[in-house]
Amino acid sequence: MPTSRRTFAAAALAALVLPLSACGSGNDDSGSSDASGKVEGDITFQTWNLKANFKSYFDGLIADFEKQYPGTHVKWIDQPAEGYADKISADAAGGTLPDVVNVSPDLVAPLAKAGLALDLDKAAAKYKKEYLAGAWASHQIPGMTGTYAFPWYLNTGPLFYNKSLFKKAGLDAGSPPKTYDELFADALQMAKKSDGKVATLANVPTIEDFGRYGVALMNKEGTAFTFNDAKGVQLLTKYKELYDAKALDPQALTATPESSGKKFLTEAVAMNPGSALDLGNFKKQAPNLYKNIGITDQITSTGHVNMYVMGVMVNSKTKHTPAAVAFAHYVTDAEHQMSFAKKVAIFPSTAGSLDDPYFTKEDGTDETRVRVAAAKSLKTAVNYTPVLFSEQMKTALRNEVAKALQGKESPKEALDNAVKQCNTLLAQQG
Amino acid sequence: MALSTLSGKRIAGKAVSGARPPRRVRRQLPTSPWLFAAPGLLITGVFILYPFVSTVINSFTDRRTLIPGQFVGLANFRELLHDDMFWIGLRNSTLYVLGVVPALVILPLLLALLVQKNIPGITFFRSAFYTPVVASIVVVGLIWVWLLDERGLINSLLEAVGIGRVGFLSDQWLLLLSAMAVTVWKGLGYYMIIYLAALANVPRELHEAASVDGAGAVRRFLTVTVPAVRSTMVLVGALSSVAAFKVFSEVYLMAGPSGGPAGEDTTLVMLVQRTGTGLTGRVGYASALSLVVFVVTVALMLLVLRADRREET
Repeated sequence: MPTSRRTFAAAALAALVLPLSACGSGNDDSGSSDASGKVEGDITFQTWNLKANFKSYFDGLIADFEKQYPGTHVKWIDQPAEGYADKISADAAGGTLPDVVNVSPDLVAPLAKAGLALDLDKAAAKYKKEYLAGAWASHQIPGMTGTYAFPWYLNTGPLFYNKSLFKKAGLDAGSPPKTYDELFADALQMAKKSDGKVATLANVPTIEDFGRYGVALMNKEGTAFTFNDAKGVQLLTKYKELYDAKALDPQALTATPESSGKKFLTEAVAMNPGSALDLGNFKKQAPNLYKNIGITDQITSTGHVNMYVMGVMVNSKTKHTPAAVAFAHYVTDAEHQMSFAKKVAIFPSTAGSLDDPYFTKEDGTDETRVRVAAAKSLKTAVNYTPVLFSEQMKTALRNEVAKALQGKESPKEALDNAVKQCNTLLAQQG
Repeated sequence: MALSTLSGKRIAGKAVSGARPPRRVRRQLPTSPWLFAAPGLLITGVFILYPFVSTVINSFTDRRTLIPGQFVGLANFRELLHDDMFWIGLRNSTLYVLGVVPALVILPLLLALLVQKNIPGITFFRSAFYTPVVASIVVVGLIWVWLLDERGLINSLLEAVGIGRVGFLSDQWLLLLSAMAVTVWKGLGYYMIIYLAALANVPRELHEAASVDGAGAVRRFLTVTVPAVRSTMVLVGALSSVAAFKVFSEVYLMAGPSGGPAGEDTTLVMLVQRTGTGLTGRVGYASALSLVVFVVTVALMLLVLRADRREET
């Protein structure tokens, strides 16, 4: 039978369309939310840029889990830090999201809204008491009931400052600023004495800075942003003064955390937030700076420092819910968080872990001093960044803050515009 | 009439050649080429045609990364008309074309004329001018960021000679100009090679005849070289204008993800990336933006080609 042109065209179209019909925004294969069955089956575990430094730790963790639960097999995949959110969104849209995923609260929110994150208040409620209450709540989404990831490690850090630059500016290097007023006064003096060549801060205020300053970021219902209140305007007005006096680095408007860190390393700015991890970096990359490094607490008007939370989410479409929940809990339980914390400068989110002598006793080194101070502050720390605050919202805020600093808009106008844009984006999230 | 003619031909065909072999050939002809073309067509369909059609469809929906969209008609296109960032992106992408294309049409030609001559050591210079083309844009971008930093090499030199520090990376216009300079610097070698090929085809006799007639170097360049490589200049103009309008990497690396101070250096493709990616990406709106980029790019190509045709006639 000869093949007609039309038949061939139809076949070609079918060949094109059929494989593509598998692509789409997720599939409807609902997994079970019941985690009470037998722990068995093959699951996939995805981490966020951890393989390079902690391969042996995770290999051991997975081997121990598989030994404890015969019949399970965990395939570990690690994704680079760059573009992690894009990788997750591609997987989520293509229906290939791993069973257990390392996430941060802002990544969990859209996944939970799309029905892709398992509600642990239902599936793993028995484990809730093992974690710090604040850490458990960090993966709850305004407007939704439930908790959508196990809390994993926490991090916070001090404010590093350059004692040498402080001395050159006539400031007391033994008495760094403790309040925002002191910070702003010292920064202006530093700029004046250095003739605008040394700035104190390298970055424009972010949403967590507004939170730490005591600005109400969202309404109680979590349905609208409110950081354009009088306190928010006050903070931005202060930053405008710093920018005009070159107490805020002129390149702050385009700075990233990495570029700010580099400015501090090259002694172009006098203060920079960091974590215990940075000390080793200073020692290795900038020995001169390390000799002059000063460490002080994060400045806050609320009495609560900012913390970053990592979580482990279970894919609601997993075919092996009991195994996925068991493994996510295994990774984040007190024993394993503690052993991970001893390998890298992070802090466990499990109840009581921060009372371990490892986090309470100093041995005279800077490392332990930073660790003990951070562990103490974490007990009352707050994750100021709202879980619904997306990357697009961060950009909107950043751009409006830049307009205020450049004098193109008043601080009030800039924050009003930022809130308006963020609320529009929030509504568009659905 | 027609039927009888057709049957007549068929009968005649049978009578002459026995008919079967020609018929087999005619029947199989349409299938074989398609089979040969199938892998290429499939790849084109999956990686070009389908994404394009999908983008067009998405541009009329409010689709987000994880939430399937509803049909919203022209709402996305209406929204972009009122989006300040869209106009900033369009302005910057257009300025990029205006700033980069003339430089990329003329400078590589001059460079090609320089390195065309067969003098000792010229291969080194040819290779040196081509090196930026093969270098990774990320590496190149980072190097230029270091050089143009407030405390970078260039600013230190400017300060040493008394000019003072210049905010290459903090002023919106200087940032855009710096990114253009990097694009030109990186593209010089590529277009130089294209021009070298074209110059090799320019008959030497034309230059000699012009010299005999008393034409100097500039005159020979304008009356012999330029007309001889005009079609190559059009090609370079078309290629570089499309690439310049779609610029992303240079500006992204130098101005940062937020697109420079207050986002004022955002280009259209950066806006597409920022709007449409991530877990909360607005795929529908980003698709509408992409469609605008596509239409403008096609228009640019047509404009350049049309200008060329008009000159020819």
